[in-house]
Amino acid sequence: MTEFGLRLAISLTQIAAVMGIVVITVLILTLAERKVLGWMQDRMGPMEVGPYGILQPFADAIKLFFKEDIVPAGANKFLFTVAPILCLIPAFIGFAVIPWGPNQTFEVGGITVRPFVISDINIGILYILAFASLGAYGIILGGWASNSKYSLLGGLRSAAQIISYELNVGLSIVGVLILGGSLSLVKITDAQAGGFWHWYLFALPAPQIFALVVYVISSVAETNRVPFDLPEAESELVAGFFTEYSGLRFAFFFLAEYANMVLVSCVAAALFLGGWNAPYPGTIMAFIGLPSLAWVENTMWFAVKTYSFLFLFFWLRATLPRLRYDQLMRFGWKVLLPIALGNIVVTALAVFFFQ
Amino acid sequence: MASTATTKRLNLHEWFKTITFYEILVGMKATLSHLLNYRPVTLQYPHEKRTLPDNYRGMLALLRYDDGTEKCVGCDLCEAACPSRVIRVVSAEVPSEPTKRYSKEYYMDMTRCLFCGMCVDACPVDALGMTREFEWAVYDKRQLHLNKQQLLAIGDRSFPVREKRLELQHPNVAFFNVAFKHVPPKPD
Repeated sequence: MTEFGLRLAISLTQIAAVMGIVVITVLILTLAERKVLGWMQDRMGPMEVGPYGILQPFADAIKLFFKEDIVPAGANKFLFTVAPILCLIPAFIGFAVIPWGPNQTFEVGGITVRPFVISDINIGILYILAFASLGAYGIILGGWASNSKYSLLGGLRSAAQIISYELNVGLSIVGVLILGGSLSLVKITDAQAGGFWHWYLFALPAPQIFALVVYVISSVAETNRVPFDLPEAESELVAGFFTEYSGLRFAFFFLAEYANMVLVSCVAAALFLGGWNAPYPGTIMAFIGLPSLAWVENTMWFAVKTYSFLFLFFWLRATLPRLRYDQLMRFGWKVLLPIALGNIVVTALAVFFFQ
Repeated sequence: MASTATTKRLNLHEWFKTITFYEILVGMKATLSHLLNYRPVTLQYPHEKRTLPDNYRGMLALLRYDDGTEKCVGCDLCEAACPSRVIRVVSAEVPSEPTKRYSKEYYMDMTRCLFCGMCVDACPVDALGMTREFEWAVYDKRQLHLNKQQLLAIGDRSFPVREKRLELQHPNVAFFNVAFKHVPPKPD
């Protein structure tokens, strides 16, 4: 019983830490996005709250907490309440299998603890994909339960888009899975150790460059970001599926969108860019005689890779206009899907003949 | 459409541009160059204000002569010139001096004003002026219906240097300075 209690306490601590990190990252992202977009458009971004506007996320959070919570007349009250939660939980639950740092263990009271991953399940990638698809339910139900035509259209668009592009995400990952020989993110990351030429983006015999391009484009589409933000197209659908949402429920959708961005960036970093591995063999900390602090360097590298993907999201948003709906579908099914399938065939042949 | 199919030849150069996302990369280079050469055009308005041009047309005001008497002679020409019907003048005789007129009441509905300055041009005695005030946002738009006292107060605070009342001007006679506008001033 004590062992169970200890395990529970350790797991809850880890979950709390990861949730905290993700929420802080989302706070940073909301500010960083506005700042980066502003700088790219010769503006300043938020400047009023705190020095250079750095306290803006907290002001936004307080504002969202105290806003009136409106349920529109004729809305399905139960589904209207459940939808934001259905959207938020899948976005957060995927972080359980992301390895944040080196695969090391230590013992606490006879229990082996892996500090940098909540649970290393052997179907990690499948688990993330499964829950990412469940997030679509929240969007569709939110759109339907609002009793508004804009919400409904946004929800339907989002359903079609997420289902189309999730296929490409799944297929683009298969190449990496063939190379890694595992579905566990920890094992895949471990297999990429020892310099950037071992990363699956560049690794012989089958560099996954095309797979990364397909994955990045599809994940942008899957998280409903510009240029694939048709579900919440401001100029057409007011705000898409969360038109009728206000206050904390809107904040849930908002949080889910940004948590999804962080999640797909983490997955991209772990699968294609070697996760927490440094681009050179070993670590500098181990080289200068501090191997016990190597995890700091490794987690920093993971953060750098994740944030560079997130910057790419902002960069695309500042650059590209929105696609038309038929362009979106044609691009997904006629361009990305054949590339992803071809990548699987090439990778499989390369691995079969050269490994 | 067969015609488009024939015109759309396989151009290797174009094809290479498409698969490498050339156009998108050009656009992303443009946005990145703006990020790296960050020169914002923003003016942090309440904290810093731009310098107004010399002929800035701001809030309207009624003016006085240097001895404190109102310039307005109640001629209604501003009301006639106004394209938005902002101005309403109630003209009257000065009680003790039957030959002299003044504006008994003078109203401006600044919700309609478009700051064209035609009333200022029309005024024969230069009784109207345009100040450099522009921060006139109010919560209740009835606060923008200004009467004569308010307009004179705006003039008092915006034009501390007042025009001298000419000596040759009889106090009972309105001095129309229209004809003398382009004549160089007398050396005194």
